Amino acid sequence: MNAVSSELLREVEQFLFHEARLLDERRFEEWLELFTEDTHYWMPIVSTRERGNREVATESELAYFDDTKETLRYRVKRLYTGLAWAEEPPSRTCRFLSNIQVEQNSDASLELSTRCNLMVYRTRLETDRDLFIGTREDVLRRVNDTWQVARRSITLTESVLDANNLSIFF
Amino acid sequence: MELAAIEDLVREGGARVSRRAFVDNDVYELELARVFARCWLYLGHDSQLREPGDYFTAYMGEDPIIVTRGDDGVISALLNSCQHRGMRVCRSDSGNSRYFRCPYHGWSYNENGKLVGIPRLKTGYFDELDRENLGLVRVPRITNYKGMIWANWDPEAPTFEEYLGGMKVYLDLMLDRIPGGLEAVEGVHKWTIDGNWKFAADNFVGDMYHVPVTHGSAHSIGLRQAWSDLGYQINPGNGHGFGGEYGGLSAAENETSYTPYIKQIRAHLAEQNGDYINKIVPLGHMTIFPNFSALDTLRFRTFRVWNPVGPEKMQVHAWAIFDKALPDEIKQSIRQQYIFTFGPSGVFEQEDGENWSQSTRSTRGWIARQYDLNYSMGAGHEEPVEKVLGSNLPGQMGGIWSEINQRGFYLRWQQLLKADSWNTIREEEKALGADK
Repeated sequence: MNAVSSELLREVEQFLFHEARLLDERRFEEWLELFTEDTHYWMPIVSTRERGNREVATESELAYFDDTKETLRYRVKRLYTGLAWAEEPPSRTCRFLSNIQVEQNSDASLELSTRCNLMVYRTRLETDRDLFIGTREDVLRRVNDTWQVARRSITLTESVLDANNLSIFF
Repeated sequence: MELAAIEDLVREGGARVSRRAFVDNDVYELELARVFARCWLYLGHDSQLREPGDYFTAYMGEDPIIVTRGDDGVISALLNSCQHRGMRVCRSDSGNSRYFRCPYHGWSYNENGKLVGIPRLKTGYFDELDRENLGLVRVPRITNYKGMIWANWDPEAPTFEEYLGGMKVYLDLMLDRIPGGLEAVEGVHKWTIDGNWKFAADNFVGDMYHVPVTHGSAHSIGLRQAWSDLGYQINPGNGHGFGGEYGGLSAAENETSYTPYIKQIRAHLAEQNGDYINKIVPLGHMTIFPNFSALDTLRFRTFRVWNPVGPEKMQVHAWAIFDKALPDEIKQSIRQQYIFTFGPSGVFEQEDGENWSQSTRSTRGWIARQYDLNYSMGAGHEEPVEKVLGSNLPGQMGGIWSEINQRGFYLRWQQLLKADSWNTIREEEKALGADK
């Protein structure tokens, strides 16, 4: 793992802020284009365990999201059907990214690893309010002079989700 | 509650259900006492307790429970509340431990619930404490039915198999499909829905009607073909029920690696049991009264429990389930299909949470509560299952769009709310049988 230049750090930050903005502005089709064809979009469950025991599920265990590009495409397509009632009328969201760290995977690699803290505030209908807070780790790949998400892992802090559903992206 | 008020909650053979059933605190309190403290409730799967000392936590109604496996392999269900000040003695979702030490004053209990450690026993209690009777409260009835762990607080309750009644032959078609039994994917989906638990249970017991509308987007995006009118709702009695499309739930959805496998198993079962198997396996949507539900489809299987948290909130615990003997690649496919379609982010289940929370919220108003909910679909058009599917199968059935199972669910619910004990219910049923 290697540190990156401040120019590259700034570039990656701007990429992540842009991506968050696409979601907040419900530009889901544009958002989907930021993911590689072999992407893995994953949100493992988190359990309350005694100190020293593993809290976050492994890849063969249960997750809240375990998506490929194909299933992400279905999720996005669904939002444009007018029949996805959990997002009809749509949620209003505001995403905050902080504590962003970026590392080059190796000198020759076209991939970067990023880690940030994520806060997503959602309001729906009259008084539905959800706050999702967690950590996000991405692998970004350089494709045609731009960045794409080749892998995303989101770990929320909650072990019991206090929300009717997860009908938004993270 | 007055008997007349309970009579009012469910009328016309279950076709009308008062909205008070979903938001009224008095109804809720009675429900905790007469439904949840009396019925067989699902705690989890024995694959969650592999080694001696393994435990997980669950709920029975609002009561927190620790489920443990002792050195002798015996599974116990214990009230997760210290006998001294009521503190929760186990605060993890799962793990392995030989004892549970209360963090408040340090009373310690072993995995069978026995009180084995008390700080200052001599200097504080003069060695006079009645330790034998101060173990964690044990759930007196517990059974491991083909890997499913069920428990019941009521010593008078029927055995689990009697409680299943006509449901047993159908449930076995899900549990005994191939040798080796079932297994839960490691981990439990846990989330809260701001809705009454019965909206979820009644949806899973018999509601195919919502599928083309609530889940209409699944068809629009090409995940499945349009819904046909061919299917069934089977009410085997005792408030249980299941139903789906003929050919198995998800028969009109795109195939996965699991689909050919389950079709092969089904053909084998049909040779042994009869052609009806081809129509109703996998079993589709299901509720075992009161709050255990399952989906058994051509793509995946899930178990879930709708734990009540007051009349207007529930905490859902949900598992992905597969046959233990399956190849690993198919197990992973089942896990992914479940996560994609059900659970909190599922492209089907997202909408369910939305419905149940809004149904509850819109029922709270005084005016709304004066108007019953309508469960009349298919009333008067029920037929004996054996008449339609043959093979001496128990129960009554309706078509795919019938609400026969919801009517059975609410009639059973009302019967339990009215009765002061299981013996009263037994007497009633005996009298009814004699009438016939």
